[in-house]
Amino acid sequence: MNELNKKLLITFLIIFSLGITALFVLREATESKIQNLNVISSVPNFELTNFNGEIFSDSNLNEKITIISFIFTRCEGACPIMSKNFSVLQTRFENSDLVQFVSITVDPEYDSDSILESFYDQYSNNNNWYFLRGDIVDIIELSENVFFLSASLLPGGHSTRFVLVDQKKQIRKFYEGTVDANVMELQNDIVTLINQS
Amino acid sequence: MKRKLFFRSAVTATILSYLLIFVGGLVRVSGSGMGCPDWPKCFGRWIPPTHIDQIPSYIDATSFNIVLAWIEYSNRSLGVLVGLSIIILNVVAIYYFRKELKLFFASILSLILVITNGALGAIVVSSVLNPFIVSLHMILALMLVSALSYICIESYKLIHIEKFKNLEINKILSRSLILFWVLIVVEILLGTGIRTNLELVSIENPLLSKGEQLNVLSSYKYLHSLLGFGLLFFSIYINYHLRDNSLLLAKQLGYFILAMVALQIFLGELMVFFDLPQLTRLFHTWGSSWLVGVIIILYNCMKNE
Repeated sequence: MNELNKKLLITFLIIFSLGITALFVLREATESKIQNLNVISSVPNFELTNFNGEIFSDSNLNEKITIISFIFTRCEGACPIMSKNFSVLQTRFENSDLVQFVSITVDPEYDSDSILESFYDQYSNNNNWYFLRGDIVDIIELSENVFFLSASLLPGGHSTRFVLVDQKKQIRKFYEGTVDANVMELQNDIVTLINQS
Repeated sequence: MKRKLFFRSAVTATILSYLLIFVGGLVRVSGSGMGCPDWPKCFGRWIPPTHIDQIPSYIDATSFNIVLAWIEYSNRSLGVLVGLSIIILNVVAIYYFRKELKLFFASILSLILVITNGALGAIVVSSVLNPFIVSLHMILALMLVSALSYICIESYKLIHIEKFKNLEINKILSRSLILFWVLIVVEILLGTGIRTNLELVSIENPLLSKGEQLNVLSSYKYLHSLLGFGLLFFSIYINYHLRDNSLLLAKQLGYFILAMVALQIFLGELMVFFDLPQLTRLFHTWGSSWLVGVIIILYNCMKNE
């Protein structure tokens, strides 16, 4: 074998092994994204009401990919950003009837049905976003024990995290609802869940 | 001796930079760009965490994915290695080649480019992978390997002066190569534009498949294919002019360019028909970076003072 052929062979082998490595890394990356969406826990029975008086219970989570947030309308810091992010996601997934959004008020005393409705009008551009209220004790219980989100010193002390719940009422992952990178990650995870179903 | 040292450090820096472009492409196609949410550290550590417990409390641990973190980290650490190799190159250049102005300034330029691109890496992360900034990050990397390829061939010529002494200069060929390089850059910019727009479309329309995203793009995507075929004929033309060239290296580079352009067209069409497979995207990008460097080397082969 002459010098040139030798060099060509070595180059080819290097590129070939780079390709194999890349293939392996790409597979690992795809796997890891699914792994990272492992089931955390199941959502138990609960019952709240939408601003139009309809009951919204855990059974409404069946067969849907639900993104949940805890907010209140008088909040001036995180909630507008969180709700804006919900709006954006709502638009981006408007062609999927699998995806729905739920915002639970942590200030049900002030946030009456009509206030929630005007908040809905302000942010929602589709009818798949529910603004729920109920007894404050139930809401604290839901936040802390079901969704593992802190709920001390309400309403100001609510969590700014989004919760991703899959079609089987299982909590899959949490996202910082005010951080663009995490919202983007949520978007990608929703796509993963949709593609899996 | 010092010429060999300079040549070797240039070759090392170039090979490492090409490897870096490959790893960078891998970060992009695997979607690992946000694998480390902070910069330059990764989850507050110089070596990424291997376990979720190692993540400091001020960083949200739910976004931790060990595989993505290490892919992103390999890009960053290889970047540091490239930076070091270019610093060494510059030390040699400053020490021995202050009077060889072309080499000296090309070395300084490569140093500026690598530092700028490292800093741009921080913006890539803080912009949450804005497709324009990610593309700019790649374009700067292409400029870097262009500068380094130039240093490689020029320092090679310093070692092998006798090989390049009695070269017949073919003006048509030289001018063709300049045009070819410009067209390759245009072709890369078109390709980058397609990719940038695909990513923008995919952010706004996450439910579209890759094929559907491609359909959304306007017709300039055909320009990319068209120019690609044009470049294939152009590289045949260049090989025709190289057929009697006395320099074996030049002929070999000519064949390489032709084969690479053909391969790029093959990979490109493969992507259109098979929903943009990740590995194909990776090698399509990487191949284009090889072309940029190799044409510069060939052009400077053909030139003597």
